[in-house]
Amino acid sequence: MSLELVLIVAFGGALLTYVLGKMSHRVRDFFAVIVSLALVAIVACLYGRSVEKTFYSGFFGIPFILRLNMLSWFFAIAISTLGTLSIIFSLSYMKDRERTDFYYSMMLLVNAAMLGIVLAGDLVSFYIFWEVMSWSTFLLISYNKGPALAAGMKYIIMSLVGSLAMLIGMLSLYTTYWTLSISEISAVIASASSGYILFTLIIFSITFGIKNAVMPLHTWLPDSYAEAPSPFTAVLSGMLTRMGIYGFVLIMYVIVGAVRTLDLGSEILKFNYILAWLGAITIVIPTFIAMLQNDAKQLLAWHGIGQGGYMILGISFGTSLGVVGGIFHTLNHAIYIVLLFMSVAAVQYRTNGERDLNSLGGLIRKMPVAFMGGLLGISGLIGVPLTNGFVSKWLIYKTLIVEGYPFLAFAALIGTWGTILSVYKFLHNMFLGQLPEKYKDIHKSPFSMQLPMIVLSFAILLFGILPGIPLKVINTIGTSFGFEPLNVTLWGIASETGTLNTINIFSAVVVAALLIWVLFRLSAKSVPVSQEDSYAAGAHIPKDKYHYTAEFYNPLYRMIKPFLRDVIDEFYYWIAASVQKLSDSVRRVYAGDVGYYVMYIILFLAFLIFVQLKWKSW
Amino acid sequence: MVTKVIQIILSPVLALIVGVFFLGLARKIMARIHWRYGPPLIQPVIDMIRLFYQKSVSHGRMFDLGIILSLAGSIVVVLFLPFGQIAPLSNSGGLLVILYIMLLAPLGMALSGGQGANPNISIGISRKLILSLGYEVPLLLVLLAVMTHYKTISIVEMVYIQQSTGWSITSWPLFLSGLSYFLILPATLGIRPFDMTSAPQEISSGPMVEYGGKYLALATIEHAFALFISIALFVNLFLGGAANPIIFFVKMLVVFVLGLFVHAVFPRFRIEQAIKYLWKWPTLLAFLGLIMTLVVGS
Repeated sequence: MSLELVLIVAFGGALLTYVLGKMSHRVRDFFAVIVSLALVAIVACLYGRSVEKTFYSGFFGIPFILRLNMLSWFFAIAISTLGTLSIIFSLSYMKDRERTDFYYSMMLLVNAAMLGIVLAGDLVSFYIFWEVMSWSTFLLISYNKGPALAAGMKYIIMSLVGSLAMLIGMLSLYTTYWTLSISEISAVIASASSGYILFTLIIFSITFGIKNAVMPLHTWLPDSYAEAPSPFTAVLSGMLTRMGIYGFVLIMYVIVGAVRTLDLGSEILKFNYILAWLGAITIVIPTFIAMLQNDAKQLLAWHGIGQGGYMILGISFGTSLGVVGGIFHTLNHAIYIVLLFMSVAAVQYRTNGERDLNSLGGLIRKMPVAFMGGLLGISGLIGVPLTNGFVSKWLIYKTLIVEGYPFLAFAALIGTWGTILSVYKFLHNMFLGQLPEKYKDIHKSPFSMQLPMIVLSFAILLFGILPGIPLKVINTIGTSFGFEPLNVTLWGIASETGTLNTINIFSAVVVAALLIWVLFRLSAKSVPVSQEDSYAAGAHIPKDKYHYTAEFYNPLYRMIKPFLRDVIDEFYYWIAASVQKLSDSVRRVYAGDVGYYVMYIILFLAFLIFVQLKWKSW
Repeated sequence: MVTKVIQIILSPVLALIVGVFFLGLARKIMARIHWRYGPPLIQPVIDMIRLFYQKSVSHGRMFDLGIILSLAGSIVVVLFLPFGQIAPLSNSGGLLVILYIMLLAPLGMALSGGQGANPNISIGISRKLILSLGYEVPLLLVLLAVMTHYKTISIVEMVYIQQSTGWSITSWPLFLSGLSYFLILPATLGIRPFDMTSAPQEISSGPMVEYGGKYLALATIEHAFALFISIALFVNLFLGGAANPIIFFVKMLVVFVLGLFVHAVFPRFRIEQAIKYLWKWPTLLAFLGLIMTLVVGS
């Protein structure tokens, strides 16, 4: 299996899907699934290989380099697998919509671009793939028109700012070292001055910070997540946003290298320390804003920002525990957030696109698989033990505590408790509580939606109970950056300052639950009753009149709402409005009347003459 | 190996006995403060056995599974908490793991109650979750101060250090943290003035309203475990744990009876008042405690 085959299949598949769609929808669907499965297979076959290939006929005479190592393989396999699951999920979700050819080929194109990014071995191709990804994402976000168009606009403008920053960084690197190959730069940059390294890190951090929605660069994310078609939101939140994390790891530990990155600045004001604080802020504020949301997708979107903070917090702490935890959390987050968005999408599919949490409820009886997905998804998001999110969060917390940064650890931990409140509301308002009368006869999700949800649920439990499987791979990545290898076994991490053994927790929970279940079965039987048959202290509860879950945390809202305005978003809007005003007044200069232009010319000449008379400058 | 197996069986059983004893004792002491005679100490046991034989209603599968999950979660926490020298699973994860497994019980209860589809349950759960967010802020600061001070996340290690250096609550940098923990202890136990979650006269016991028969029995057992866990955590972290279960039990008893006195004389807070209280003095103290720990440590 050669490396360029991945990109040929990915980009070729995207193009062919569009062409095939013009002939038959059924063939196109089949082909799209086959292409994405083929990508998974090819990437899986490349496991463990470390190659770098140079093609001299690259863009504008600059060699085009592809490189594969454990880091890029890890991201590539996650991208291709999650991409495949979303495509399968789309099969029924997108069934009767218009412009589906465009949708599928764009989905594949986004996947291809992401694979290109992680396989790129030089910065030019990295940049080009990055741009392809940004543009195709824009097209998919604004797929639904209306408010989606505005969301897409916001996304693309912020993305462009990020791309410009990357362009500046690239040009500066090129004019300094006359090469753009990642491995060549990383070999020579170690001897650069601290100021130059800091400049490089900051300029690239803007790019990747925007993509990963680190506060204060997060404002594009909530609207884009909410307005994009749900299966694509899954991809967007799962892997695409996390290309920012890949970028951070790339610039910090691959290009610049751990030794120089962790040694920038004075004792208190270190680069990675500031990044860690940004990560902590990114955890706390969005998590609390998420509590105030009533839109299922907006709620998850704010958690997408918040969880990104954990990854930043992990990787910015240059210890093996932290970096491994950060990268592991990227994978775990991808798995459970994709599952959660799929669960929302499954509900939307059956309820005419309803995503307002205050008008759903009781769907557990109708859509058990979607409920199970939602339950395991939120468990992973909270980090309940025996789900994957727990292990990676444990690694991050432990780093912070052992390294002696309890306030960062506090930010991370309190974020978790904020998460519980909002995600319980999410699950409860959709699946628990009373089933509204109008949803009495909806059906369960079709199989093509259930399959990806079941696979992801399984993955959450598997990586939660046997975290050693992915951790072995990530440990290799950590070692390749020069960190000490962790003592990882199949079911946990051993160390002097506290070990983790998930298999013991798992067995204890299973045995305890089984014992209680036996006791439960042996005791007197319970009678199943309908949802209306409940105790209300003698009062009659009218059907469908109340929604018990609306305004769920009202007492808390009243207290914290004044503190949780998204000031940054307002600030950006203010900038946008001012720029627009300024441009508008500049526009008025071009009145379109020749007389005015003549007047401008005469005024300008008069000004020049005045200058000459006064200061004799010529 | 054999001792380990015995410990694994012994520790939940002991915890259950202690918890249920506390439930009975609570009724007795409360009655005496009210100038009543009160039920016998084993009244909770009698009630539980009766409840297992009684009929009950079920609102669906999650209603059943939630309560099982909740109780299982509590039992597992007990396996991680040292009770004297009995701590069978303590080397499988430290305080961070305990903190997170402690989530299973309220989460299971909330999921089970969620399917109950009763307005009282919704109010109760909403209050419970807000309250727990309220006391987690100071509690996490306190726990971080302890973990930073002892430079470990293993709870057995902390107990071990305290045995040689004296109780944390009397040691200099952790004094404020201990005080803060003591101030929020009623909230973690869910007793007055923080019993708005289950307020019987107001929202018909909140999350428990749909439970009857075996559900109520399991919920009561869970409550007994929850009492045990909250107090045992405090004793382990701040009162030096103990070398044997009997001294440990005595320490727990003292803390619990002190809590009961608070319970007996205070009226109930509203949820906003509770949050305001929790986020003011205990948080301030915990915050200062953490800063002091950092300053003294470095």
